[in-house]
Amino acid sequence: MDISIRQTQADSSSGGDAAMVMSLTGRFDAHEAPQFRAAVAEAIEEGTIRIAVELTDVEFVDSTALAELVRGMKNCRERGGDLSLVSPSDPVRVILELTKLDAAFSID
Amino acid sequence: MTDSGSPLDSLAGALVETNDQLLALYQLATITTQSLDEVEATSEILRRAMDLLDADEVVLRLGDQELEARESGQPSVGWRSRTPRRRSEDLAGSSNKATTSTAIDVSVGALHGVLIAVRRERPFGTADLKLLSAVATMALGAVQTSRHHHDALSRAVMARDHDTAAELAQLALPRWRPSLPGLELFARSDSARSAGGDLFTFAVVGDTLHFVVGDVSGKGLPAAMMMTTVISAATAAFQTEGKRGPSAVLHSIDRWVHDYLSEAGLFVTLLAGSFCTSTRELLLANAGHAPVLFVPAGDGSQRARTIDASVPPVGVLPLCALGTDALVEEKIEASPGARLVVASDGFTEQPNQVGTMWGEDRLATAVTTDAVAAARELGERLFHDLEHFSNGAEQSDDRTLLILGVVG
Repeated sequence: MDISIRQTQADSSSGGDAAMVMSLTGRFDAHEAPQFRAAVAEAIEEGTIRIAVELTDVEFVDSTALAELVRGMKNCRERGGDLSLVSPSDPVRVILELTKLDAAFSID
Repeated sequence: MTDSGSPLDSLAGALVETNDQLLALYQLATITTQSLDEVEATSEILRRAMDLLDADEVVLRLGDQELEARESGQPSVGWRSRTPRRRSEDLAGSSNKATTSTAIDVSVGALHGVLIAVRRERPFGTADLKLLSAVATMALGAVQTSRHHHDALSRAVMARDHDTAAELAQLALPRWRPSLPGLELFARSDSARSAGGDLFTFAVVGDTLHFVVGDVSGKGLPAAMMMTTVISAATAAFQTEGKRGPSAVLHSIDRWVHDYLSEAGLFVTLLAGSFCTSTRELLLANAGHAPVLFVPAGDGSQRARTIDASVPPVGVLPLCALGTDALVEEKIEASPGARLVVASDGFTEQPNQVGTMWGEDRLATAVTTDAVAAARELGERLFHDLEHFSNGAEQSDDRTLLILGVVG
């Protein structure tokens, strides 16, 4: 899996908090989860609590990866921010719907 | 070598000295086979080297630590920090009337050290230096062997503890199967590793079977440990909330384990259900679990119906925060011949050698095609079909299957 990160301008509704878009590519599973966890932890440590995870080019997510997304979402929300999902690919959307995690995340 | 007498005497003296050194080397070589204790074996080599070289002091340095030979019979003090005197390196290579010292650099594997010998009265000769070099290699070799042995021992102990914990965790899965009139039950869980986070458990209260099937996110021992907690919570919930239905059971489990799961960054997909053999009423509540298929009674032409999750897995958001109506309890009148099939994602997401997953469609087809088979026969066949499909590809995740069949 590849992770590309770009900082974005926070909109006025976010209260000016730093924001970023994290684009993931390929398989997102137990092997890749530590890399994603480290990237999110680093972003939060640097004060970015609004993270949009772009999943357009993710072919597959397993339960470990979903747990990492949930962990990141909780960590951001605890600090007043959020981790949202952007344009999940069809396979990812199906898994989010099957597990009803689509009800837990903000999905754009 | 002696320096007096005829050339023949000198030659004889040299031969004796060489033989003595060979004998000493042989004795040195046998030391490491007698002890795998790092300090004990290395100290013994240094002590023998001291005797052999007629040295007053022999020290092995490794980084900031050093080990010193002691007189025979005296216990070694073990590794200690380099003394200021030795850190100044004034021993190595120095020579004056009273004392001669020599230092040999040595490397064995990733270890690099220095062996220092100090002798008063007479200087070290060429033969002494070669002997010292051999001693240095042997001493460092003994250190390396001891450390490898210690590492291997530590790994073995850790592996044994891991296996024991994994075995204990898997024991949480019930080995008994309920026997109720009008009901067949197949349940099996195969972990991808020595332990896994898939779970099932059940309880019989009166004429009703209560059950849960779930999958803790993640793999291996951490997931397995959490699995045991969920099973404990479910077992208690069956007794206290079972009469109020699977929705109440799920709420109870959630109250027990939500914070625990959340703290650990994990969640568990859970299907809770109950089947009353008197009324043939099947109740189901699904928190994020898939696949769950219900096949109505019939001749095999019926399609399997998916029982969808109505709330996210337990541990994601507290169930009480989702509203009282969020968790939907599905009620099904199950006639003889009907069956419920609950699998874990290790079934549907198992890839074959070219990366194609088995998928929910294959599972649904297999379940409906074998409409007349008994629950046990169907369960074993599904495991077999999956194994055949994967065609030798490594098991990617834990595989769990529970089949509940209604019989007349």
